[in-house]
Amino acid sequence: MIRLKAIIKKEFIHIRRDPRSLVIIFVLPLVMIFIFGHVLSFDLKKIETLIIDLDRSLFSRELASRFASAPLYSIYFLDRPSISRKQIFKDESIIREKTGERGAEVAEKWLRQGKIKQYLVIPPDFSRKLSSNQPAQVAVVIDGSDANVANRIYQYNERIFRHFFFRASRLRPAFEPEIKMFFNPEIASTPFIIPGLVAALMLMISAMLTSLSLTREKETGSIDLLFISPLRSQEIIIGKTIPYLIVALLVSLGIILFARFLFHVQIRGSLLLLFLSSLIYLIVGLSLGILISVVASSQKVAMLIALLGTILPSIFLSGFIFPLESLSPILRAFSYFIPATYFLRILRGIVLKGASLPHFLFEALILVLMSFFLLGAASRKFQSLRRAKT
Amino acid sequence: MISKFSLSRDYKKSTEATKISLAHQEKAKSQIASSSAIEVHELTRCFGSFVAVNRINFSIRSGEVVAFLGPNGAGKTTTIKMLTGLLRPTSGQAFILGFDVEKNLPQIKNFIGYMSQRFSLYPLLTAAENIEFFGGIVGLRRQKIKEKIEELAAIISSDYLNQPTQTLPPGIRQEVALFAALLHDPPIIFLDEPTSGVSPERRRHFWMKIYDLKCQGKTLLVSTHNLDEAEYADRIIIIHQGKIRFQGELASLYEQEKVTSLENFFKQMVSEPKNGSNNSSY
Repeated sequence: MIRLKAIIKKEFIHIRRDPRSLVIIFVLPLVMIFIFGHVLSFDLKKIETLIIDLDRSLFSRELASRFASAPLYSIYFLDRPSISRKQIFKDESIIREKTGERGAEVAEKWLRQGKIKQYLVIPPDFSRKLSSNQPAQVAVVIDGSDANVANRIYQYNERIFRHFFFRASRLRPAFEPEIKMFFNPEIASTPFIIPGLVAALMLMISAMLTSLSLTREKETGSIDLLFISPLRSQEIIIGKTIPYLIVALLVSLGIILFARFLFHVQIRGSLLLLFLSSLIYLIVGLSLGILISVVASSQKVAMLIALLGTILPSIFLSGFIFPLESLSPILRAFSYFIPATYFLRILRGIVLKGASLPHFLFEALILVLMSFFLLGAASRKFQSLRRAKT
Repeated sequence: MISKFSLSRDYKKSTEATKISLAHQEKAKSQIASSSAIEVHELTRCFGSFVAVNRINFSIRSGEVVAFLGPNGAGKTTTIKMLTGLLRPTSGQAFILGFDVEKNLPQIKNFIGYMSQRFSLYPLLTAAENIEFFGGIVGLRRQKIKEKIEELAAIISSDYLNQPTQTLPPGIRQEVALFAALLHDPPIIFLDEPTSGVSPERRRHFWMKIYDLKCQGKTLLVSTHNLDEAEYADRIIIIHQGKIRFQGELASLYEQEKVTSLENFFKQMVSEPKNGSNNSSY
């Protein structure tokens, strides 16, 4: 106990006396969450839509106005002057275009140029067919170059069309599905992205803390003095873990506050559960850091491994961006070894769904096992570092 | 040798841990009183194809001060690292107070003190905090650590006590480092180039300290490449290219090797052609 206390106290003094490292440790994840949080957004800010209305009836105008009143859509017409038209339609001759065919050609050109994300062609017989209870058609051409975006536009369109036909047509559909998006009604990507970022950054920071601290001792040679002392390897490991666990918790708190107040991610579940699961997860990261320090020869190398070895898999293979189901079997097998995979499920569960412990007992258990295993492995590897050098 | 073997047999036979450690301590005490403190048999260490230490043999009696001399890269640090358990020997054996370093490392740690010029104190910690830390990791109680810090304050000025050690003058730093290495009062002390980069004046002062320790009955192995320090030691061991070239008193070196000074012997030794892959100097 005396020996353990000595190490813990020494680490705290080191943390306090080295404010530069501390600033990096605190500021780096906040900057990263700020940048990534803004860049990694799948939300559509604007859906530029061109409507070629060949029908020019009450019905077609009604449909167009439904699109125009939907929040994300900004609507342009070929034949009607509008404020935004001037920005897009520089060529006056195009404005005079009235025939559908020519209009479609022009629309395609703009689609290719990226001026619009989709265009709609309302055929001349649109209102006639609707009135006579025949199936009416509307052609929708979406820019599919970004599958994610195209999918979303398709979904948004669907909603508008459904509402329109429900009201306009006398043909009632056999049933009307009542769809509700739970947990994230706006299907905004921020509440989905930010927890993923938080998970990735927490792992990175914790791994960096211990790996840097231990490789520094390796670089200066002070590790020899620890090795020569009666300290047991476990005492060194635990003595290094506890102070940095506290630092990592503080950094995590900063990241979570940032997520809460900058990105408005509401935490629906229990804060205590969030704290406890973070604690386990951070221990996993800290043990990873110790393992890194066993192989890394210098602080630079340790930093690089800690950065790449945690952030990349956490982003690509944890279900953060790509759903695990869409990964190839090999990568998917990998994902089961990534701590972020499990913590992300817990985090999204607590933050988005207000889930309680029984909902993620399995994930929590895996993380506990991982932390035990990694701490044990770190301790063993460290022991071999102590005496091997063969 | 006989006592050594009976010791390890004792160790195996005995079942209770406390009994073992008591028996060890008793044995250790008798070892200090009677026979050799450090024994090295055919100790070898290779790094890949490079043989850093090549089948060396020596023994150091309790209470002896031995200067471990050799040019840079001769194998001094590697030897000391093997004796302190920091490096595993490729082959051969080392015994500290009769304990096999390989097998009884945890016991040995209580008997040895180690100070190296390379790193001995945490630069960001003050002298007092360093003492607190090193006292803590050898298991000293809070009260004892307090006494030790007061003791140190009497040696260096108390102004220095609360300064980060990186800002201390080298001489003071060396003083604190030695003090820290001796906190658990070890009977055997390894000093790895403790005086490199220190003025001759300071070196003489440091050797006075070493004499004090000798008077307390401690055994010291002091590695150095400053030849003048050989005169202070009871005995010298000269290592070159991983092999021991001479061990004994300085006077017998002059007699045996027919040289007029240690410097001449070194010059002669270094100018010899290097043997095989054993390129020790870098």
